[in-house]
Amino acid sequence: MMALHKIADQEPGWLQVMKSLINVIPMDDPLGPAVVTLLLEECPLPTKETCVRLCRDLGLGAEAVRRAKDRVCEHRNICVLLGCLAEKMAGMSSVALLSESVLSYLMGNLTKDSRPPVILFSLVALEKFAQTSENKTLILKYLEAQQGKKKTRKIPLEILEGWRYNDDSVKRQVGFCSQWTLDNLFVLPNRQYSHEKVDMDGINVMLNSHDVSEYLKLSPNGLEARCDAASFESVRCTFQVSSGVWYYEVLIVTAGVMQIGWATKSSKFLNYEGYGIGDDEYSIAYDGCRKLIWCNAQSEPHSHDCWKPGDTLGLLLDLTKCEVIFSLNGSCLPPCTKVFKNAKSGFFAASSFMSFQQCEFNFGAKPFKFPPRDRNFESFNQFGSLTQDEKVILPRHERLQMLRQVQVQDDSCSLCFDSAAVATLQPCGHRGMCMDCAYQLEICPLCREAISGRISDIS
Amino acid sequence: MSAPGGLPRRIIKETQRLKAEPVPGIEATPDESNARYFHVIVNGPKDSPYEGGTFKLELFLPEEYPMLAPKVRFMTKIYHPNIDKLGRICLDILKEKWSPALQIRTVLLSIQALLSAPNPDDPLANDVAEQWKIDEVRAISTAREWTEKFARK
Repeated sequence: MMALHKIADQEPGWLQVMKSLINVIPMDDPLGPAVVTLLLEECPLPTKETCVRLCRDLGLGAEAVRRAKDRVCEHRNICVLLGCLAEKMAGMSSVALLSESVLSYLMGNLTKDSRPPVILFSLVALEKFAQTSENKTLILKYLEAQQGKKKTRKIPLEILEGWRYNDDSVKRQVGFCSQWTLDNLFVLPNRQYSHEKVDMDGINVMLNSHDVSEYLKLSPNGLEARCDAASFESVRCTFQVSSGVWYYEVLIVTAGVMQIGWATKSSKFLNYEGYGIGDDEYSIAYDGCRKLIWCNAQSEPHSHDCWKPGDTLGLLLDLTKCEVIFSLNGSCLPPCTKVFKNAKSGFFAASSFMSFQQCEFNFGAKPFKFPPRDRNFESFNQFGSLTQDEKVILPRHERLQMLRQVQVQDDSCSLCFDSAAVATLQPCGHRGMCMDCAYQLEICPLCREAISGRISDIS
Repeated sequence: MSAPGGLPRRIIKETQRLKAEPVPGIEATPDESNARYFHVIVNGPKDSPYEGGTFKLELFLPEEYPMLAPKVRFMTKIYHPNIDKLGRICLDILKEKWSPALQIRTVLLSIQALLSAPNPDDPLANDVAEQWKIDEVRAISTAREWTEKFARK
């Protein structure tokens, strides 16, 4: 990393590092695209001019779309890199980067005739460019023009959305990302939101859209999740169990790093620090890419082969025997017991995702593929229940809009604004916070004196 | 505890206040899709080598905020003894001197003040700090050149 830092410090070196990333990251390594993100995170920041120069050197434009069909790996890597740069350079530099030729290249790749890996990462790159509002406006204009004057023509992105449940895992990812983008980012006139037309009958448990780290993408039915961020994103389901025997399955869509398992409410999602499920003492997770079982941030190897797209991970939680049993396509590992040292009840199905990873959960709304044969078990879906409102996963912009309108009381705690400010700190006598916050503090937030006691106005 | 939707009231309150009463010379806009992530623009302070530059920063409020400090990073290249190549900032209130009574606005004001008063005795960018101590006049002129080159609109 130090050497990389040194080489990439000046423009020629930086350009060279970028070009070799494009040439050497292999197509079939499930971690390839994530490695680009990781390495770029470690490189010094390029200038705007250097980025623009890179795009010129790569000769992108409408013409390059044809080349991308023959040189899939190289062009997939170019798209991954463009996305990372767009994110890193958000703002004026990202606007400069999205030149007419880069835009027509990325847009040109979004058709059924392009190769699926190139489509996928073109779409991800456009999403990252759209973090800068000028770019978002530009992309939206382009898409609206595709709709025709009457705004009724189906655009290529909507056709790609039809791949949502395609048997080919890359096409399925394209379908997922097309749908997510159209619902959350590039909202077009005359298109109905997916959450308004998705069939939720019989779904009683889903991934919890209020218990998820910021950047994880959830499908409108709440059963599929995907991460395209550089951080390690996590989610828990809506249903919690404290006794009995429970089972759920996960369809592996991408073969990279995901930690899928069981977590309690005490498990924290520290997406930026890279902590997820299995990285604390209250959770346990299966990682089929690195072939490890994670618990308390320690890992032990397991005997399964690496998982592949299309595999089914089975997760059994037996709270009577205090056992967790993972299976891949029906082949069971020996029981794990370690997590029960610190957590005995209150478990949720939970999972963490590295960049560009995706999987689908089955909590029992569909028949299981490899149900456990050696013991009786229940499925979440038999016992869970959700109101109509709870079943709706709102697009992000609508959810944030709702949040910003929340009113905050004036006499509330100056630290959390959740409860009334009733605490007095001793010995300094400072006030203005609630008892919950006061108990989390060791020194006074105002004068930094050590706290010896906390008194509440309400006895 | 948090408001419906999982965003703590503290963050909602600060966001509302930043919008209603902005800090002069500083812009902090919440990200469209992530309410814990802010796009920040700080104008280089007057009479500093950064005058005339506009510096982009990212500010992120971690899960434990306000019990833990926000994470802040320069996205625009800057020549400053307390800011390294990756844009990381050496500032005590972002580390051991953090207090939950501090806010996004106070943090950004402190960063603006750090631009006015670089502190080469508590360096993060060692080579820059070294230059600053050996030849301050030259270091200041380099800082001015970098501002011109990387932070001009």
